[in-house]
This record gives sequence, C-alpha cells and structure tokens, in this order.
Amino acid sequence: MIRRVGGLITLAIALHAQPYTLGNGLHIDPMFNIGGYFSSEFQSKNSEESLTFDDVAVMAYGDINPMFSYLAEFEAVGFYHKNLSTGEEKGNQKFHAERFYADLWLADAYNFRLGKMLTPIGYWNIEPINVLRDTTSSPLYSMLLFPKFLTGVDLNGYIPNVDNVHYHLFAQNNHDLDEEYINIPNTHFYGFSAEKELTNESSFGGSVGEYITLTNQRTRFIQANTKFDNEQWQMMGEMIFAQNNFADNDHSSTLSGYAQGMYRYTQEHAFIGRYEYYNDHHTNYVDNIAVAGYSYRPWYPVSLKGEYQWHSLRDENTFLFSLSVLF
Amino acid sequence: MKIIILFFGLLILVSGANYSVIVSKKLSYLSVSSHEIRDVFLQKRHTIGDQKLIPINLVGQDDARSTFESVVLGMDRNRLNSYWIKQHFAGVNPPVTQPSYESIKSFVQNVDGAIGYIPSKMVDNSVKAVYEF
Repeated sequence: MIRRVGGLITLAIALHAQPYTLGNGLHIDPMFNIGGYFSSEFQSKNSEESLTFDDVAVMAYGDINPMFSYLAEFEAVGFYHKNLSTGEEKGNQKFHAERFYADLWLADAYNFRLGKMLTPIGYWNIEPINVLRDTTSSPLYSMLLFPKFLTGVDLNGYIPNVDNVHYHLFAQNNHDLDEEYINIPNTHFYGFSAEKELTNESSFGGSVGEYITLTNQRTRFIQANTKFDNEQWQMMGEMIFAQNNFADNDHSSTLSGYAQGMYRYTQEHAFIGRYEYYNDHHTNYVDNIAVAGYSYRPWYPVSLKGEYQWHSLRDENTFLFSLSVLF
Repeated sequence: MKIIILFFGLLILVSGANYSVIVSKKLSYLSVSSHEIRDVFLQKRHTIGDQKLIPINLVGQDDARSTFESVVLGMDRNRLNSYWIKQHFAGVNPPVTQPSYESIKSFVQNVDGAIGYIPSKMVDNSVKAVYEF
C-alpha cells in the first residue's frame, strides 16, 4: 500500500502543472488534485512519555464535470509509536479509507453525497485533523458520542428561501466501509443537522440523530453548536445529550460539551483555553477537563502546538506537544 | 479589519467606485448583493438565481484583488489563505485566475456564467456591471 501511495505521489509530482504551495496540494488538473498531511505527537501522562507518528494520510479529489466530483482519502493511524519510558516500539502502517465519496450537485439546495464521509455534525468533527485544529487533543464530546464517519448518503445544501441556513439530511443502513477505522462501529445511522450563518463571523446550529451499534446499543442524540471567529478571537462551543438503550434493555444517558476560546496574539501565535464536561451515567465516568494551550504556525499549514490538560480525575493529567503539516 | 473595510467604504464614497463586478450581458441580473458575490467566490454557492456561475479571480496581489478581498469578501489575505487551506482538505479549489483585467473581461464576454471584477472605467456594453466597490 505504501509503495502504491508513493508511486501515486511520484506520478503526480512528475505531472503537476501549477506551482506548488505548501498546504494547497498539487493541482494537476481540475479532475485530479492531491494532498496529504501528517502529524507527530509527544505525550507525557502518569510519568510515562511516548512519541507517536500518528496520522499519515494522502488524498485525491477533483471535478469530473460541473455536476460530479469525488474525494478519496487514505490514512494510517498510529504509524509508529515509541514508549520513551519502556523503550517499547510498535506501529501500524496499514492505510484505511478515511473518506471515499462522490458528489452529485443538482443545485445549491440539493447536493447528493454518496460513500464514506465525515459525519456532518458541528464544527469539530468536520475538521478532524491535527493541523487544522488549534489543540492537539480533541474534546471527548467529539470522540465518544456519535460515529465520526458515515457510510451512506447525505443530501445537503442551502434551504431554499431561508437566509443562509445550510442543512444535511443523512442516512446509513449498512456497515461502515472500513469497520476497523471508526470510533463507533454501527449498522444504522440517521440524522439531520442545520447551521445558520448569522454574519461572516458568527454562526450557530444543531443536529438530531440516531444510530445502532454492532452491539445493538441504540442511541438517540440532540446536539447544538455555536461559533464566533474574527481576526483576533475565536469562541466556540458544542454540546450533546445522548440517550442510550442497550441490548439488555438497560438504558442511560450521557451529557457532554466543551467551550473553547482562542486569542490570536499575532498571525503565527495563539493562546487557547478550553473547558470540557463529560458525564456518562452508564459507566459513571464523570470528568471535568481544563486545557491550556499554545499554537505556533510559522506558516498556516505547519502547526506546532503544546497543551496541558487538568482532569478532575487526577491521574489523567496530560502534557501534549505536536507537529503537524498539511501538504 | 473593520477599520480597513470602513476605510475602503469611505474611499468609495469620496472617490466613486473604482471596480465593477461583471457578468455576461446575456444574463438577466440587474444587480447582485455583496453577500451573493462573496458566497460564489468562496465556493460556498455555485448559483445566483438559476444561473450557475464560474468565479474568476485576478492572479497575484494586485490592488484590485486586495480591495475585492477586503471589501467584498470581508477577509484579509492571511485569513483567506487559511480558509482555502481548510477548503483544500474538504476537496474544494479556489476560483480559477486570469492574468489581467483584459483576460477577465474577455472570459466573461465569452463564457456564460463567468463572473469577475475589473476597473469600472473598463466596463462597456460588451459586459454587464452588477456590483460596484
């Protein structure tokens, strides 16, 4: 697989016609653009230190004609990992299908997306890679409470005759395209999300949905999100309430959310603070997490980030540092 | 940022509009809003009314492009660059570019649905101005 990916990149570099700029990929043809990213991470937690080349990914996309387009992305997660405290090394170089879909555009109100895609919920889930985020870690909200990916169909667009409201109506009635590579393997997933753009700088939205996991857990959720983003400040928050019904007829609920603020001191330097809350009544897992972080981007597609997490569960306190590049 | 936009706004009021957004004269639009133009040039929408549009940008860092980005798109170059890097990850390319005002005008004259911007003094009856800034 690695050889194939390397061959693809070599071919693309040989063919590409436009000057390359970091972070914008190679635009060989309107039908064929390629790019990728990687991230590496240092973690210190519970007196253990580790180094991980976490994500290595390549992607291709393009417009076949004015109505049809596609995107394919393959990623190896945990490419190489070394426990610096014990010297233990491991890695997984297998590439997984992260996104693999085609779009049929009929109008701004009706775009059909078919295949495997990022679940169109909120802000965090649709920008899941390290280099696009402002902290190395992701809130538990975005990792544990709904499937990050959807293998199915998503009808999306701007709601006609309503000012600046974008919607997604999505459905999955099958297994994930790559079940090894999804946070919540499931067989059914339905939902609706909408986002209202209030100004160039602010928006809010929400979603409702239901999914059934491989273990027959049925979860229904309702979610909300809001964001303000200008040259200097970014404030965002998301929350979700999920009602879980388990195969043994037991049921419980989970509530989680986060609020994050970022101050851009200059174009390159930013300070980030985040508060997270997570409460799973089924497992009695309750955590309050405060995160303080610093982000340095010498160029936007190159991100160096450091953060410290304080957990109300004391043995979870963590220091993280990462380097990530989009190319 | 708001100060820059205000500055350009005052400049336009004092000196008159310097640039015009143009489309083919075959199109039925009389005018379009800055918000509609912004959405088309940011590739958020592809149509205004029933017409599918092809946005055309001026290549490089010309004053016209900087003014267009500040006044119409409401973003400075750094913010726009980060926007397009995020769009690259989403599989969306920025608008195609043309090397000169003349080539933008020619493109708009010859391709139905093309939309671009040129100095207002270059506007004649071969194209239709739908917005001034």
